[in-house]
Amino acid sequence: MAAASKTSDGLLLSGRAILRLVVGVAAIAVVWQASVLLFGIRPYYLPRLSVVLEALAATPDAYIASLLRTASETLLGYAAGALFGIALGSMFFHRKVLKDTLFPMFVVSQTIPVIAFGAVIVLWFGNTLFAKAVMAFYLTFFPVTVNTLLGLQSVDPAQVSLMKSFGAPRRQVFWKLQFPNALPQIFVALRLATSLSLVGAMVGEWFGDTVGLGVLLLQATYNENVVGIWAALLVAAALGTLFYAAVAGLERKLVFWRVER
Amino acid sequence: MLQREGLSGTDSNPTTPILELRNVNKTFGSVTALRDFHASVALGEFVTVVGPSGCGKSTLFNMVAGLEEPDVGGILRFEQRSVHASDLLGRVSFMPQRDLLFSWRTVIDNAILALEVEGVPRKAARAEALRLLPEFGLAGFADHYPHQLSGGMRQRVALMRTFLFKRELMLLDEPFGALDALTRAMMQRWLLDVWQKNRRTILFITHDVDEAIFLGDRVVVMTARPGAVKLEQRVDLPRPRSPDIVTSPAFIEIKRTLLAAIEEESMKSFTAATSTEYAQ
Repeated sequence: MAAASKTSDGLLLSGRAILRLVVGVAAIAVVWQASVLLFGIRPYYLPRLSVVLEALAATPDAYIASLLRTASETLLGYAAGALFGIALGSMFFHRKVLKDTLFPMFVVSQTIPVIAFGAVIVLWFGNTLFAKAVMAFYLTFFPVTVNTLLGLQSVDPAQVSLMKSFGAPRRQVFWKLQFPNALPQIFVALRLATSLSLVGAMVGEWFGDTVGLGVLLLQATYNENVVGIWAALLVAAALGTLFYAAVAGLERKLVFWRVER
Repeated sequence: MLQREGLSGTDSNPTTPILELRNVNKTFGSVTALRDFHASVALGEFVTVVGPSGCGKSTLFNMVAGLEEPDVGGILRFEQRSVHASDLLGRVSFMPQRDLLFSWRTVIDNAILALEVEGVPRKAARAEALRLLPEFGLAGFADHYPHQLSGGMRQRVALMRTFLFKRELMLLDEPFGALDALTRAMMQRWLLDVWQKNRRTILFITHDVDEAIFLGDRVVVMTARPGAVKLEQRVDLPRPRSPDIVTSPAFIEIKRTLLAAIEEESMKSFTAATSTEYAQ
């Protein structure tokens, strides 16, 4: 009923959500700064937020370069992983034989910690942006595959029968019914994979690179540069949040009908 | 008297049958849904099917919609030719019991689903559907989504989707079953109106005997499972039929015959159900 003004509702909601976010971030910032001052927490454990921000402002170029680098690795791996996962899930859905033979192997592959792969990937692809994207890809594609398959399987058989009674070939049943029906489920994985792919990219950087948020984090740790650690962490958090928000926004746009449930 | 003549079936099909089923059986594992089912539907005829629940009506419909094959030996004829059930996919306009609307499609886009499958350009299909909206009581709702509609409206969208899939034979599975009495009566009259204008052949399942008589040229009563034809009753009431026809003696006479037959079958399926319950 309320959905009569759905679009304006959606805008209003996201506007309110942004406001909430800003207020929330501001609150955390105040609590951070105040508690360090109030309880006299030593900078070794938690530096003041203002100090961390000053550090960011002092050498913005390094952070911006790292941010862009890590963001490209993440996005590249994420996009490839999402597409591959959707394609693989759809293939498993259509060819049960493939699912039964390949799926267990993919499950096994996912039990190997990504760290263990890191060295090999660097050996294979060198110290490139691509190598880090592969790590992000590796962490992204699996949940997307699983959820695509689940989503495709969740379709109402009566709706499939209806499409068939219209004379629709499998292709049309897939694109007009099964795929749109799977989208909400696919987006659950796509949201989850935003943070996973960021982890993949940053961990990938630990195997050797000169630019990137993971590199900044590692260098700061070696030098016991506490402020540097927190600065890198803040930038990574901002990147992760932004990425998640973008995917969630896309979801709201594409899967608007979810309101029904 | 009049009805007796109808029963014999000699006067029933002056026109050619569009659909014939002979010797049709359908078993699912140990359950026999249809046994030795015979029926024939003439071109342009409005046939209603009533029977106790679980009597195989839906199996019958799935078969005629092309979704399920009869057991070996059963004969299906469509437009004078022997066919496999699967040949009927895309050739019969089928409306299942539930509306099955796609939640991501607007009213208009749900209505044109079958046209899209057929390859009609979206723009042309939409234009055609837009013209029909008022007739289906959906004017102004073209861009609404299913979750914004009432149950009756959703059902009308489903009906519109079925009508836009222009096939000679339409299968309607309790299309008004979920509607309130008032809306249902309106929808019945409206359906007759549309049918009289277009003269398509309709096979219509219902639980409601009044509805079956009011709408049909002929009422087929099915037996309890396994489903077979218990009784075929011609309805020789004049058309167009006005709502008050349900109180006419002829109508009541037909209703009495049908109710007796249905009652008998309902009792059978009821006792069958309770005895299996005891057996368990």
